[in-house]
Parts: sequence; C-alpha cells; structure tokens
Amino acid sequence: MKKKAITALLLAVMLTGTLAGCGNNSQEQKQEETGQTQEEGAQAEAGTESEDGKGTGDVVDIEMWTTNTGYLPVEKDSVTYNFYKDLLGVGITQPYVEWNGGQTYYEQLNLRIAAGEMPDVVQLVNGIETDLILEGAVMDLTDLLPEYAPHLWETVPEETWNVMRSYDPTGEGRIYMTPCMNDYTRHAGMIRQDWLDAVNMEMPTTQEEFVEVLRAFKTQDPNGNGQADEIPTGGRAEARWMDHLFAMYGIAMWEGYPQWDLYDGELTYSAVTPNMRDALQFISDLYAEGLLDVETLMNDKAAWDGKVNSDQVGVFFQWAEQSYMYAANIKNAVGVEADWSVLPAISAEGYEAFITKKPTVGRQFVVKKTDDMEKVKACLKALDAYGDPDLQDTLYMGPEGMHCTRDESGNLIKLPEDKTIQEVQIIKPIDCMSNLESTIHTLELTSTPEDAWAIDKAIVNAQEAQNYGKRIAGDGIPSSIYDNYDDIENRILYVECASKIISGEWPIEKFDEFVEKWYATGGTEVTAAAREWYQSTQK
Amino acid sequence: MIKISWKDRLFTGTITVLLILMAFVALIPLISEISISFSSKAASDRNIVNLWPVEFTLESWKYMLTKGNIWRAFGLTVLSTLIGTFLALLITSLMAYPLSKKNFPAAKYVMLYVVFTMIFKAPMVPYFLTLKGIGLYNNFWVLVFPHILTAYNLIIMRSFFKQFPDEVEEAAQIDGCGKFRMLFQIVLPSSKAVLATLGLFYAVPMWNQYQHPMMFIQDVKLYPLQMKIRQIINGGGDLQAIAAVRHVNYTEATLSAAAVVIAIVPILIVYPWLQKFFAKGAMLGSVKG
Repeated sequence: MKKKAITALLLAVMLTGTLAGCGNNSQEQKQEETGQTQEEGAQAEAGTESEDGKGTGDVVDIEMWTTNTGYLPVEKDSVTYNFYKDLLGVGITQPYVEWNGGQTYYEQLNLRIAAGEMPDVVQLVNGIETDLILEGAVMDLTDLLPEYAPHLWETVPEETWNVMRSYDPTGEGRIYMTPCMNDYTRHAGMIRQDWLDAVNMEMPTTQEEFVEVLRAFKTQDPNGNGQADEIPTGGRAEARWMDHLFAMYGIAMWEGYPQWDLYDGELTYSAVTPNMRDALQFISDLYAEGLLDVETLMNDKAAWDGKVNSDQVGVFFQWAEQSYMYAANIKNAVGVEADWSVLPAISAEGYEAFITKKPTVGRQFVVKKTDDMEKVKACLKALDAYGDPDLQDTLYMGPEGMHCTRDESGNLIKLPEDKTIQEVQIIKPIDCMSNLESTIHTLELTSTPEDAWAIDKAIVNAQEAQNYGKRIAGDGIPSSIYDNYDDIENRILYVECASKIISGEWPIEKFDEFVEKWYATGGTEVTAAAREWYQSTQK
Repeated sequence: MIKISWKDRLFTGTITVLLILMAFVALIPLISEISISFSSKAASDRNIVNLWPVEFTLESWKYMLTKGNIWRAFGLTVLSTLIGTFLALLITSLMAYPLSKKNFPAAKYVMLYVVFTMIFKAPMVPYFLTLKGIGLYNNFWVLVFPHILTAYNLIIMRSFFKQFPDEVEEAAQIDGCGKFRMLFQIVLPSSKAVLATLGLFYAVPMWNQYQHPMMFIQDVKLYPLQMKIRQIINGGGDLQAIAAVRHVNYTEATLSAAAVVIAIVPILIVYPWLQKFFAKGAMLGSVKG
C-alpha cells in the first residue's frame, strides 16, 4: 500500500522535474536567440566577438539607461551595440526598462541601485540625483569634462554649465551632471490656414479676431463634411496643452505646467499671478460658449491627438516642428492636406503675449562613481557624442537596415518606427541637445517625397515659432525648490482651481482663495527658495 | 408537488430579466474593446466606435499576432500558470492538511507564523534583494515560486480540511492507510471543490502578473504575456520626437484593444469549466473557521 503513496510522490517529483526541464528549454532557446543576434552583429562588423565582459581590444563596455518607449533592448554584440562600438569606440548596452512616464524607470533604477548595480550612465528622473550626489555614488565631472568630453564641453554654453553647478546639493558648485538643452522656441499655437481660407478670414492678430475665428470654425463647417463636428480649440486634462490661450496673458507656461518668471520685477510662480486670473476667466468664457472642446478637461494625449488627426480641430498647441505628423495623419484619415500654420502670439488687452522658451530643459545624465578610469573615459566618450556636430546625422539615422535604409541614389533615409524589430537608439542628441538649425536639419533628413509637403511646412513653422518665444527668468530652475512641498510641485491646487474655473463649476472669485491657500500651504517657502536660486544665478 | 404562485413567478421573472440586463452591461466594455480592435485608425481617432467595428480591418490583429513576438510570451505565461497552479495546490494542501489536525500541537504556532505574513508584507527593496540573492532575477522561475503559497488560500484550504469527517479518515486508518496516502487518495479526491476554487485563486493572479515580474525580469525574452503586451502598446506618453511618418491602419487604441482581448480571453475560457466547483467552493471555506 505504501508503495502506491510513494509512487504518487515520485510522480509528482518527476513531473516537477520535467517542467523544470521545460524551463531549461526556454533558457536554451534564449541562448539560441542570443546566438542569432551575435551572428547579425558579426555581419555588421566581422570578427569582433569576445568572451569577457570587457569587449574586444580597447573597447570598454558600459551600461547606459535612457528613455525607451517600447523598442527592443540593446544587448552585447547586437546591431546597435556594434553601431556605437564602430562609431564611438565604446560598447553600449541597455536592458529594457519600461519608461511609463518615468515612473517605472524610476522604480527600476532604485532597485538596481539598492542591489549595488547602478548602471554606468544614468538618465535622471524625479530628482534622484540629489541623493546620489550626497551619497558619493556619482562622478564629479568638473575636471573630467574638458579633457574627456571636449565637444560637449564646448557646445554647452558657460551659462548652462553654471546652471549645472547651481544644482550641486553640497553647495560647492561642482558639475555632476550634463544638461538637456533645446535652444530654441519649440512650441506654438497651430491653426488650420486652410480652414481660415474656407471661412474667408485672415490670420487673427487681436483677441477679438481670434474669438471670431473660433466662432466661424464652429459654425461654418470649415472641414466641409456637412457635420457640425468642428472643435475650434481645446487641450488636454489638467488644463494642459492649451498654452496658446494662457500665452495671451503673458503667462509663463510649459505644456500646461505653470513656470517661474518675472512679474512686477520679482520671480513668481505664474499660476498665482493676476495674469492667470484673467486667463482663466477668458478660457472659461470660451468653454461656456462651446469654443473649447467640451472634453478638454478629460482628454488624454491619445484622445486629443485623435481629434486633431481626424480633421476636427482648428487651433491647438504643439511643438511647431511636429505639425507634419498631424498633417500626415489627417491626410491618412480623411485625405485632406491640412495646412497647419503658426498662430501668432496674440496679446490680450493690457498684456504682452509670448510663448515660453526654456533652453535649459534640465539635467540629463550622471556617471557612476568608479576608480576604473577606462570606464569613466568610455562613459564620457558616450556623453561627448551629444556635443559632436559631426556625429549628429549618423546618430539620428541609427544603424543602417534597422532605423534607416538607402534610397536608389544611395542617400540614407529614415525608416518609420517599428518597435517589434528596432532596438532602442540610446544616444539621440536631437532629444536633448538641439537648436533650430539641428531641428530643421533633422526634419530634412526625415523627409520623403511622399511627406515632403507636410515636412516643408513644418520647417517653415519651426522657423516662424521663433518670432514669439521669450526665454523666461525661471529657465533652469532646480526642482529642489519644491523639496518637502510635493503638492506644489505636482500642481494639486492649481489643477483643481484651473479645471473648476474653466468648467464653470467655480466662479472666478475662487481664484483669490486658491492663491491664498497656495501661499499658505508652502507657496511662500517655495517662492523664497525660487527667488534665492534666481539671485544666485544673477551674480 | 409544490404549487408555484404567480407572485413567485413574477419574482423569478423579474430577477431573470434584471440579471440578463446586468450581464449585458458587464459585457459592453468587452464588446466595445473587440469592436475597436477591428476598427480602422481613422475611426478610432474620431472616437466613433461603439458596439460594432467601424471601417472593419484586421490590421491591429495582424500586427499583434505576427509582429509582436507575442506567442513566446503567451507560452511562458501558460507554462508558468500551469506549473505554478499545480505546485501551489500541492504545496498548499501539504501544508494545510497537517495544520487542520487537532492532534498536531504546533499547528497554532505555525498558523500564527502564516497570519503574520498576511499582515506584515516584506518591504520592496529587501524582498527584491532576497529573491535576487537566490538567483530569481531574470529567471523564469520568478514567475512561479514566489506565488505558490499565499496565506489567505492556505487558510481557506485548512478550514475546508477541518470539516472533513474524522470518521472517514479513521476508517481508512484502521484499514492501514498512511498519512500521505490519506491525503492524496482519501482527502484530496473528495476536495475537488476547494481545489478548483483555489486553483482559480492561484491561476488568475499568475496569469495576470505584471508588477511582480516587472521588478524581477529585465530580459525581454523572458517577458510574461502582460508585460509583453504592455511593451507592444507602450506609447511614450508625452514623449515625442521627429520621426518618419508611419502609414499604418492601427493606433495605440486599436492595438490596446486587441491586446486586452488576447489577455483576457484565455482566462475567460477557463472559468465556465471550473464554475460548478467554484460556486460551491467559494462558500466552503467559510462554513467552519
């Protein structure tokens, strides 16, 4: 009898063993697949395989974490690994780390750091750098940059390096991080010129004219489909992406995030200025009249982009350079060649309108502290690529056959994204070391005969947007001013106030209560910290 | 024979109609997702898809099923769910059975130990370091081992075993039945209800696991289904950059919709098979504490 029980147990154990075997199979499969990648890598450059983690010959391998929105990871000896190895002489790998608005990336990074396995180069999120610097986990780059990253050192202006120095939490003014810079006015209100033509109106230059145009868009069926489906203008939840309306009142605003600028000669959070009160009143009136998308306060990116892309929206706020994408999508959806043009910055009475320009977007990378100078040099070589103008095109294009291909005349052309086969492009200067020139150049590189009509217009738009930008005084302000005041940093009170006033739930008088409450719950301290920082940059 | 009054009929009728309506309401989101997954980019952008596909296309499905390397992840998830559920039931019954016995004096203390883990969860970083330390980082088994015993399920099974009639076990014992044989040949075969219920309780979270593997699996080739789906439909959120125009007939919304269907249909299929046990079993644990 006992035999049977033992047999049953043995069976269970055997079954487990078999299943474990299946697990091993998947391991083997994994190795097979890696083998394939290695072969591909070898095709890209013959005879560069190595057994150890150090790479072949002089090539040092580094692990670099950047934003990846769903592309494949870069493993050792993969196509992209070899691409960087040939181009820069550094082997760069990057595991797949989900970005998820920075949140998942942040958690994963923390876990890796806790496990004592910080990647060699880290893109910064959520103010993680302060602790890293204070704990001595990252390299002091002050003396290393001029020697090992000369291009980057030269490209970034002295004033921006000074901003980086102002981020040193020890107060000694050392440089621990490299900056992210977009030295041009990137945003603009965009208006459908073809809709203006359809309703026989000129480009508006005053606020009254602007509102008249919106009314015409709503009532005169400019998209000509016979339905009253036009949305004159709008934005996204949390009163975001409608900066063109706030801009009329001289409000420093960045994609819906209120910014710091000089009001009455003092650095002030733009959300608590009288300008904001008037702007909210104006926007609320537009909402009440049905000139603002009725779902404005609920739209996420997909929903709002969907409306723009389906030929329903007349005016919206975007990066001027992105207008081709929306134009192409509209053509794809309804066959109309939409003419997105830059809406001038229109001043409301008594105010001077501008579009916020923030050349110093913030800090970008830190390098892990190590005694291995070869490693440090390799990290800096990778970072130096961001400042080397000769490499920009090649880096943007990425590995041939994966991110770009050659046309009949032998010119490289960019391939559309396909996250199922493309590895992530780790070093992309266009993301965080760009100016108008490089942006236009990138647009030209992206152009194909099929999309040229839209891209040419985007280039015009990018140039025209420069007319309305103003660099705000709070450019480069460190997030440390919000330390201990997360609610203010997360705009909790502001979003509630703006949303409720726009939707008409609150009367405009509530705005004054909001300002009082904002100052009372930490706004005073944050403002003091912001002004202190501003003073320090004025020296 | 009992006569059914018209009042009872009315009552039953109303309940039936209400339940059918509610079932339909519960189905609406799924139907809507299915419709979106078969709709064109333009229709999805215009947000005009409700309960029927608009401008029918198979593009999203083609993309999800052929390009996303989804089958490997699907296989891994099926495998880990099957192995995991089997091991979970085995381990849980092996532990619950002795704990249900009155003549096992240590049971009280072991139970305390079990309940303790229900109340005090391990903090994330030490948990991560421990599992990493025993080699469960980037390892298929991290999809299985951490989930094969949960205190809640153990308590349910223990309660179930407690009400198992002692007489049956005594009879078996008199016939010379040993402890293991008692469990595997006498007790478990009469416990299908609780096994099915707990099997489902274990299987569904294992099938759906996302946060947990996210911490422990960085190798894309070991991604379980939910993470793979997330990777495929992972838009950059607000992130944008100059890129070549894509002339495709799907959007993130249609792909997400297809992904949702892929992710939930297999587990939906399992439900009806287990339902007859499930309805019984879910109540069973609660009868006696």
